[in-house]
Amino acid sequence: MLSKGNQNMKLKSLLLATIFSTGLAAAHAAEGELSIGTEGEYPPWSMADAAGNVTGFDADVGNLLCAKLEMKCHFVVQAFDGLIPALKAKRFDIIISGMSITAERKKQINFSVGYAELANMFVVKKDSDLAGVKDIETLLTSLDGRTVGVQAGTTHAHFMEKRASSAVLKTYDTLDQMQIDLASGRVEAAFADSSALQDFLGRPDGKDFQFVDVKVLSTFDPTLGEGIGVGISQENTDLKARIDKALCELVADGSIGKASQTWFKTDISRPCQ
Amino acid sequence: MELGLWQVWEGGWISAILRGAAITIALGMASMAFGAVIGVGCGLIKWARIFPLTLAVDFYTSVVRGVPELLIIYLLFFSSVEFVARVAAAFGYEGLAGNGYAFTIAVVAIAAISGAYSTEVVRGALAAIPSGHIEAARALGIPGRRIFRRIIAPQMLRIAVPGMNNVWQTTIKDTALVSVVGLQELMRAAFVGAGSTRHPFIFYFIAALVYLAITLVSQGGFDWIERILRPRTRK
Amino acid sequence: MDFELVFLAVPTLAKGLWLTAILTITSVAIGFNLGLALAVMRLSKNRAMSSFAKGYSTVFRGTPLLVQLFLFYYGLGQLSFVRDNPVLWWVVGDGAHCAVMALALNTAAYTSEILRGGLMSIPAGLVEAAQACGMSQLLRFRRITFPLAIRQALPAYGNELVLVVKGTSLASTITVLEITGHAKRLMSQTYAILEIFAIAGVLYLLINLLLITLVRLLEARLTRYLPR
Repeated sequence: MLSKGNQNMKLKSLLLATIFSTGLAAAHAAEGELSIGTEGEYPPWSMADAAGNVTGFDADVGNLLCAKLEMKCHFVVQAFDGLIPALKAKRFDIIISGMSITAERKKQINFSVGYAELANMFVVKKDSDLAGVKDIETLLTSLDGRTVGVQAGTTHAHFMEKRASSAVLKTYDTLDQMQIDLASGRVEAAFADSSALQDFLGRPDGKDFQFVDVKVLSTFDPTLGEGIGVGISQENTDLKARIDKALCELVADGSIGKASQTWFKTDISRPCQ
Repeated sequence: MELGLWQVWEGGWISAILRGAAITIALGMASMAFGAVIGVGCGLIKWARIFPLTLAVDFYTSVVRGVPELLIIYLLFFSSVEFVARVAAAFGYEGLAGNGYAFTIAVVAIAAISGAYSTEVVRGALAAIPSGHIEAARALGIPGRRIFRRIIAPQMLRIAVPGMNNVWQTTIKDTALVSVVGLQELMRAAFVGAGSTRHPFIFYFIAALVYLAITLVSQGGFDWIERILRPRTRK
Repeated sequence: MDFELVFLAVPTLAKGLWLTAILTITSVAIGFNLGLALAVMRLSKNRAMSSFAKGYSTVFRGTPLLVQLFLFYYGLGQLSFVRDNPVLWWVVGDGAHCAVMALALNTAAYTSEILRGGLMSIPAGLVEAAQACGMSQLLRFRRITFPLAIRQALPAYGNELVLVVKGTSLASTITVLEITGHAKRLMSQTYAILEIFAIAGVLYLLINLLLITLVRLLEARLTRYLPR
């Protein structure tokens, strides 16, 4: 049996038969500039336009954080399930992308304190028999054999795999794709955070749909995380301390709560413990 | 209007798609160029049967040609590829800002794929050169390097053109796969537009037309090169 | 290598192997017949038929399979007349069915080019001789033209089969959980990227090896009259 390192070498040399690594360490961002990885396709958290400008709650949190740290913000857009690998490859300094803090992710990267938490919910057609379900256990058992859409690599996907493994899970790279399939009837239910689904219900193609009145919180199952945090690479302990302090202040003075009101019409900020 | 032609025009998506097409072409050309370098190197190794190296080349070409391109792209995308950062730094992408990182991963992945196919084309072209030509040149006492430059390389180039045309067509189509790593090329532009306007049909239809235009125009280009390189014989 | 991970990944990826095999077999079965029809149309004297076949092959070979797949799955899925028609929705509404359709239409274009080459390589004398013997057009095709053409085209068709196997991986982008779909899910769960790539890669190489061996055996059988 080959050791892991050995295999690593073999595959890399095979893929890059002629490209050699130069031994240079990856360059760090310029001093005084903070580069932030975000998804860019997750309204109202993170929306990127054709020119690459990012708006949304994540962008607001990023800008508030940069102002507090007296640094210049620079956003980098990256698909959600590639954010952690890209952070580890030093493509950017931190992740702000509505990312929940989970045990699995903590093995890969560090997180700041949780600064927000949002309920996770299901959306179904108004005439679905699931529409009237009121408690979570009934809901999870009645998903048996039904198709449910989730976004790939999210806590929602991991939660479904763990708690509703008898449901047929469809994973999508983006929420848009999931919503297109929900609207066309290819999936019977979608599971995501309530803000993202609220956005869908407000669109023309969401008019025949509604929430199932069950709020799934991280207190119900720890796979759903410990709130939403800023992802920081494990080597960068100094930055983590500064970000934690800044976030706690921003939550305490109500700045994050205000940004939350703008985008979600409700305060989802989570006080520091 | 169900098709959403108006939304495509109004949202400024046409220019986003054209920008994407430019990136697709740049990506295709860069990958093809690196792939051709890999192809000539590995093709020569295979043709000359340089012993331990042929095994490595065989392994490389059979794995890359047998495993789906998408899986190879996922490998490079998900692994915390420090070497991509290093390669990028070596080429002067210091901060890895914007599209530089995604572009580098994409070029590495597509060039590795295109290189494997180029290797076979080059090897085939080298094998098709009549051995009499090389023997005659040796008999005339022409030095080895000049034999390569005057006899082998020109013939190889000419024989390899149709094969390289095939590799190019495959390469330009393979670039669509890197839309999954988030590079803003043609397919990604269509993908984002389709998601945000909820009119996927028109966006993918336009993307298909643009790809078709690229492949047809480049096909014409290759036909022209082939005509130029055809040996002039007396009738 | 992490053994616990291998025990987790191998059964999951093996589940995907089954679906990859089904996708390949169905799309090749449909695509081969379509491709044969297109090749015959391409060589027919009827201008409309031959230009249709040529246009079909140009369009499907000139655009990426991923675009075709998304155009069928998300594009057609958006149109209300497709959604309201039960037969069309049976094809487009399900990811796996839609992938088979896209793969079959795509491989038909390449197959038609390969078979056209095979059909054109048949010496005119053989066909004339069969005509002189009084064979009907259909009998001639079945006994003379088709067997000779397929023998000529077999090596190239073997390569096309490998491309179809690799093409099935794109089904993962429209929620179908074949080998690549499972591999991607495992990669984003465990972050053990190389191990999972290696296992999935070996599965694909095994399928391709099996296919190439089958094609070589068939080739040997069809050419057994040749001196060795």
